[in-house]
Amino acid sequence: MKLNSFRKKSPWILHYNAGSCNGCDIEILACLAPKYDIERFGIINTGNPKQSDVLLVTGPVTKRSRERLVEIYAQMPEPKVVVSCGACACTGGVFRGMYNCEGGIDQYIPVDVYVCGCGSRPEQIIDGVIEALAILEKKTKDLEQSIRLKKEPVKEDTQLNRRDIAAEIKEIA
Amino acid sequence: MGKQYEIPLGAQHISLLEPLHFKFTTENEKIVDTVANVYYVHRGIEQACCSKFKFRQVSFVVGRVCGLCSVSHTTAYSQVAEKLIKIEVPRRAKYLRMLVIELDRIHSHLLCLSHVAENSGFEALFMKTMQYREFAMELLEAVCGNRIQYDFSIVGGVARDLKPEVGKMILERLKIFKPQLDELVDIYQNNWTLSLKNKGVGLITKEDALRLNVVGPFARATGLAADVRNEYDDLLPWKEVGFEMVLDKAGDVHARNMVRLRELYVSMRIIENIINGLPESALVTETKTFPDGEAVARLEAPRGELFYYAKGNKTQILERLKIKAPTFSNIPAMVEAFKGNEYGSAPAIIASYDPCLSCTSR
Repeated sequence: MKLNSFRKKSPWILHYNAGSCNGCDIEILACLAPKYDIERFGIINTGNPKQSDVLLVTGPVTKRSRERLVEIYAQMPEPKVVVSCGACACTGGVFRGMYNCEGGIDQYIPVDVYVCGCGSRPEQIIDGVIEALAILEKKTKDLEQSIRLKKEPVKEDTQLNRRDIAAEIKEIA
Repeated sequence: MGKQYEIPLGAQHISLLEPLHFKFTTENEKIVDTVANVYYVHRGIEQACCSKFKFRQVSFVVGRVCGLCSVSHTTAYSQVAEKLIKIEVPRRAKYLRMLVIELDRIHSHLLCLSHVAENSGFEALFMKTMQYREFAMELLEAVCGNRIQYDFSIVGGVARDLKPEVGKMILERLKIFKPQLDELVDIYQNNWTLSLKNKGVGLITKEDALRLNVVGPFARATGLAADVRNEYDDLLPWKEVGFEMVLDKAGDVHARNMVRLRELYVSMRIIENIINGLPESALVTETKTFPDGEAVARLEAPRGELFYYAKGNKTQILERLKIKAPTFSNIPAMVEAFKGNEYGSAPAIIASYDPCLSCTSR
């Protein structure tokens, strides 16, 4: 069981519907319910982008929900992963080419895991989220690495000292 | 008069399944005015159905209008297309359509009820209702081959036959579900904590419901007898399989819950009757004619009356397809019923409307 490695972190999910037919959304809801119960991986659904790690997006991006999608993605703190649920979130599906639809969410935000199916089954969604958790862990490590690099001592101090350039204070006669 | 504040809810919110935006004007936490903004999910399905897809393919496309009541959409479209190409559906196909529509209604109503419980702050009841709902999804998978988006109705009939062992399985599962439903009715009716959030909240009177053209369980909870199954018997024989209208008087969230729960008993009885008296006949009527003329069809989806209009011009591609979804009729009353309620109970009220915006926006 890989459960132990996942217990390190309790990732929170943010779900956004970018014009889906509700099919994948109710399957996400079914994942939270007792039969499929993704809470055993420490996952809970949250409505706040600023507290979430995994963004679950369903639906082809309609022209009106596009800005909201990008806004929500921008509000999520790093590290973050994006899972696209369902055929229409991945490629546009049956809605591809309709006048108010964009083909898939990866035209606007980077996607880490694609979950196929119309609609995606709860097992598939759980598999996708678990895969996303591994990516999340990797991203976390990468992020910590880059911070350590930045903290290396600077060889030459090129910063100006404010006291050097400040005007002299003349004594009052 | 106190100071008025504007509070937005949506387009992305924990209590919403789909993008829906409400702007509440509140005064001392009481809602005095509401503006609803529903067209976030407009995809342009009607236009694509009239230009991109052939009329036999359209029944699969309109199923993707809504994932919750996809069988209602495919059936309503199939009915309207059958009127245009002038064929009669086999009797067994009609019965199988009704079977899947009622199974779909069970899962949709239970989803709505669980959502009301969650938004009222009763997480345990949400979990319980969702747990009991899984049996309907499993049965739908056994009958149609997919948990959601079952492309069951096609133009001329149905795509799959009901195997005898699946019929037996449905009857067994319904027997298990009945005591569970009794338990749910007991909780939704008598739980004191839930009643604080539900009784007398989101109230709408019968006169207002009639004036604002409300349909579905929302209307039946006010005592308005609005059910297509009751008035319209030629396309699907609802009366033969024991349909009975469910009405309530109060018109609040609690009444809507009770209407939905009591409709589940009716649905269960209809399913039992269908399986016990399933007629033998072919599944599909084959024909090679092209659609011509105009036709309308009405069907009772889980949320209310679904209306389809289509116009053909003797080619493979339809000239016009119009879909009027139940939530579209309910929006004026939805805005009205918020007035005078606390802002805190707004999520529960929204869930009790059972809004389906992907139907509304298409």
